[in-house]
Amino acid sequence: MRPLRVARVDSSPGLALVLQDFYVEKERPLIDWVWISENFSDDILPALLGHMYLSFVSVAIALVISLPAGVFVSRYRKAYAPVTFVTGILYSIPSLAAFAILVTVPGIGIGPRPVIIALVAYSLLVLIRNVVAGLDAVPAETIDAARGMGLTARQILFGVELPLALPVIVAGVRIATVTIIGIATIGFFVAGGGLGQVIFSGISRDFPTMILTGALLTTALAVVTDFLLLRLESFLRPSARTKRA
Amino acid sequence: MIEFRDVNKTYPGSQRPVVQDLSFEVLDGEICVLVGPSGCGKTTSMRMINRLIEPSSGDILIDGEPNTAMSQTKLRRRIGYAIQQIGLFPHRTIADNIATVPRLLDWQKDRTRQRVDELLDLVGLEPAQYRSRYPAELSGGQQQRVGVARALAADPPIMLMDEPFGAVDPITRTRLQDEFIRIQGEIKKTIVFVTHDIDEAIKMGDKIAILKEGGILAQYDTPENILTNPASDFVSSFVGADRVLKRLSLLLVRDMELEPLNGTAVDGLPLIDARLTVRDALSELIGARTTRGVVEDENGDGRRLLTLDAIEALSGGASATGSARG
Repeated sequence: MRPLRVARVDSSPGLALVLQDFYVEKERPLIDWVWISENFSDDILPALLGHMYLSFVSVAIALVISLPAGVFVSRYRKAYAPVTFVTGILYSIPSLAAFAILVTVPGIGIGPRPVIIALVAYSLLVLIRNVVAGLDAVPAETIDAARGMGLTARQILFGVELPLALPVIVAGVRIATVTIIGIATIGFFVAGGGLGQVIFSGISRDFPTMILTGALLTTALAVVTDFLLLRLESFLRPSARTKRA
Repeated sequence: MIEFRDVNKTYPGSQRPVVQDLSFEVLDGEICVLVGPSGCGKTTSMRMINRLIEPSSGDILIDGEPNTAMSQTKLRRRIGYAIQQIGLFPHRTIADNIATVPRLLDWQKDRTRQRVDELLDLVGLEPAQYRSRYPAELSGGQQQRVGVARALAADPPIMLMDEPFGAVDPITRTRLQDEFIRIQGEIKKTIVFVTHDIDEAIKMGDKIAILKEGGILAQYDTPENILTNPASDFVSSFVGADRVLKRLSLLLVRDMELEPLNGTAVDGLPLIDARLTVRDALSELIGARTTRGVVEDENGDGRRLLTLDAIEALSGGASATGSARG
């Protein structure tokens, strides 16, 4: 069965679905519900939680770096081009290559660590850019009025600028998180855990139930996260601020 | 009292000053309007009072103290600030917007809440209806009112207003101006008011400072005196060829000293409302193609005669700049 070797390096659910035809010929059921129920709490759920852990911890760390970096860059405009340049290079490194390089770095090794580091690096470009865009979009007159009334620079940043930039920042978080949920599946190759484990094991075992479980859970995680953050984003838009009866 | 003493401002990297040797005083309880064409430094001058801009040289004194005697933020919390673009905080309710400075000054919650309602009443917005709304839900005119209320919140003795009624339609602007004149009658603040509109300056100002390009003070006086005796060609062209009419618009018919009727035949003469400005009364006379009208007093006793001659006497001294030669 040659096609399966091809499938091994590809995690897309689309290809997995194409491969169904081969499996059906072998007279196995497409979805083996018994296997799912037997392995749910020991394998599937931990993989899902592990995947969420990898994705959300990475975005959280990236946000902790990007917020101050974005504020700094929006104040010292000269730093914007170099920061975008560096984070742009980080963003363009192929994910498997990034994991592989990090594994060879002393003190990192295999496991979740190289995965989180790479995912943080991927998020920086989008997040910093959105922090800056969000701060830029704060109306100049609003800041002028705040200064004129005697708010300090710190009060203006935390009380006016960041709250008004928040919808744009959350939009960046949404894009970064959804991207990272996809990339995190490849972390399997450096023993990072997560749903990639389920997908790739399924492929190597020639077991469609497992492939589909991993693929569909990854997709669901991405779609649900996207939806929730989109809701949060529109909730935070000041134009949506009307009396909430 | 606000006192400018030889204030100069040149922006870094620029040769030309935007404000030059500016010296004038704004007395307590007066509205001083800074007016002039764009680039005359009127906004810059205003922003130097609360140190949003620092002068290159010279001093600005507030009640005899240089405005550099305290920190910028402390100074600004004692000076109301309202601008054309309003700059309300879109993520905060109307009440929270108005409460900005009282909160910075750590007012008690009850006192702040009371003050917010009081101010909403003052600017003609029903507190129960508006306090928990967001700025985006209000019309432009309503937002301007909130902007003024916010500037008044901590009851500052001094207010800076940069074209505060500039961003609304003319009808709303007239109403906001009238309301503000009424409010000022109650609160008696010392106000520096910036506008590019000479009519607004004449209407709002107790004193008018006319600035010309480069921030040079062309004339500083009451509206009446500026209209009667413009100090230079620049001033007379800036106030406009209709300055005689503008001056008449500052006066009300009821304040004129008019002759009683003394048996004059009133048949066919137009009836003039004593509450009109003299300019409007003149317009009535011309419209009725007569030189005389009958003024009905508000309380209805006594009718008096308004004549074109009486109006001309009022405008005396404010005649057109040159006289024709034969």
